[in-house]
Amino acid sequence: MIIQTALLIALVVFLALALLLRDLLKAAVALAVASIMLGIIFFRMGAPYAGVFEISVVAGLITVLFILTIALTKPGEDVKESKLADIVFPLFFIAFIIIDALVMKGLMRKIPAVPGSPEGAAFGDVLWKGRTLDLIGQIAVIFAGVFSVLALLRKRNKHD
Amino acid sequence: MIILYVALPLIVAGILPLAGRISRRIIPDILANATLLFLLVWTAVALRPLISDGPVVQQISWLGEQVNIKLALDGLSLFMLLVVSLIGLGASLFSIDYMEHYGAKASYYALLLVMIAGMNGLVLSADLFALYVFLEVAAIASYSLVAFGLEHDELEASFKYLMLSVVSSAFLLIGITVIFGVAGDLDFKAVAAALRELEAGKVVGIASAFFILGFGLKAALMPFHAWLPDAHPSAPAPISAILSGLLIKVSGVYALARVIINVFGLTPALSEVLLWLAALSMVLAAFLAVGQKDLKRMLAYSSISQVGYIVVGLSLGTPLGMIGGLFHLFNHAIAKGLLFLTSGSIQQSTGTRDLNEMGGLSKKMPITATTNLIGSLSIAGVPPLNGFWSKLIIIVALFQAGRPFLALLAVLASVVTLWYYLLIQRKAFFGKLNEKWQNVKEAPFWMTASTVILAFLCLAIGIFFSATIKTWIQPAADVLAEGVQSITGTWGF
Repeated sequence: MIIQTALLIALVVFLALALLLRDLLKAAVALAVASIMLGIIFFRMGAPYAGVFEISVVAGLITVLFILTIALTKPGEDVKESKLADIVFPLFFIAFIIIDALVMKGLMRKIPAVPGSPEGAAFGDVLWKGRTLDLIGQIAVIFAGVFSVLALLRKRNKHD
Repeated sequence: MIILYVALPLIVAGILPLAGRISRRIIPDILANATLLFLLVWTAVALRPLISDGPVVQQISWLGEQVNIKLALDGLSLFMLLVVSLIGLGASLFSIDYMEHYGAKASYYALLLVMIAGMNGLVLSADLFALYVFLEVAAIASYSLVAFGLEHDELEASFKYLMLSVVSSAFLLIGITVIFGVAGDLDFKAVAAALRELEAGKVVGIASAFFILGFGLKAALMPFHAWLPDAHPSAPAPISAILSGLLIKVSGVYALARVIINVFGLTPALSEVLLWLAALSMVLAAFLAVGQKDLKRMLAYSSISQVGYIVVGLSLGTPLGMIGGLFHLFNHAIAKGLLFLTSGSIQQSTGTRDLNEMGGLSKKMPITATTNLIGSLSIAGVPPLNGFWSKLIIIVALFQAGRPFLALLAVLASVVTLWYYLLIQRKAFFGKLNEKWQNVKEAPFWMTASTVILAFLCLAIGIFFSATIKTWIQPAADVLAEGVQSITGTWGF
């Protein structure tokens, strides 16, 4: 109970930090830490799959994306991309996805399903057979995000 | 295939940025407009026979295995699909010429189609969480579209819209959580059945409060309206037309009606709360509109007022009220879509939205002046245009339900509406031509064409209102009038 309370307090503190810190980089890191706290809470409450996703996707992947975006858009600094970065980043990205997938696969095998909870059913079953329409919705959300970035970060040329 | 309404716009949206690299203008124009035209024709021709034997709940198969994509089509969702496709197409046609100077047309159309897919998904979803997910899809696309011009005002309006929308989403999620906790399910039919069995009046009351706050914010009902007069005018004109004509109705009014009337059941207490919130919007927003100098801001306040009429009709709970509310939703979508488009034509020709700077434009823009007049008179409720009939039905329904005071308020708001729309007409189009506008020309072909089509619809629906009600409105109103029974009784496999 004490650990649970401490985790919840830490979660709130780091979320508040993510909102209050002016340095975007620090805010992104605070958000990642908050995410890890939330992931641990998920594990402790018998929702291992939610925990795995929270830590790998939100604390991992999204933080990497945040940090990359901040690095590319920091005001006052003209970030010049070296050719090396063009090669290293895609390689790093692919490596990250592979490691992430392997770790997740390993974790899911080790974690016993909690009987009686909705996650007692195979995870794929719940996601694919139970909430498929939401997956299409998620794809649409990702589309909206990508097109928003394309539209809002566009350069207006003379022709336009 | 009902899934087409979500899948097709998404697939085309995915192709558009690539197509935009081949051709910056023509291919995106053709792809987006052809998609919306196809959906409109498909709705009008192929979908109606599908529900002739009652509502259809479809379960999709994928490679021979059943996946849980469950979509429901009944009279109400069919009607909403028609409205979405029609106004979507009108705005998209207008965009062919209007969006030229913004650039990035492919990204624009892609976002527009994602927003349409979101609205279609929301209308077709058969469970609370899917409804929420698609509501977010449409909302995220709309934030970017409001900011599409990238000017300071647009970015600020978009941010304000985003912040209030997030609050709305939070309320909706809490409402959904409460219902899931009580009913143990999210499916409309299962929730409706469980709530009936449990007789969980208090919990439903709490959940209803969250849903009214959430959807009320999306529909911009007073006092949750603060974001709309900033967000709608800042967007490019075709997007303003979709936001005011469609989005507030789909993610606000439709979602509210579906959840409160069809899933929870409209109780007298809920009806009373909604009636007074709507009446407040109807009257106050009309008076607030009168004081505006910015043409699009005036139209935005008018939208808040007209949503008030729609919700008054729907929350009255009588069959006639439902017909009036839905018919006004249809008519307002067309007329307000039209008016935002004409405001776009004016803004593009003159470079201003300030009514005091305009004057005498009818001499230079006769077609825009005429279509604007038709749209204005339609919303103000002047016969024989479509808006007259829907307002008349709402007022008759209010009298019939023993609500003469609310009926009087509706008449009063209608008079104020006529006042400010005539103000627009007088300040912008009539009188002496301002010398600044000597070189102003009529809007380009596609912009004029789309406004003419919508103005023609205002007139045609007004003349053939009886056929329109019989074909499209009555089946939709029946679904709402049946209340919970329409879902627990007829939604099945």
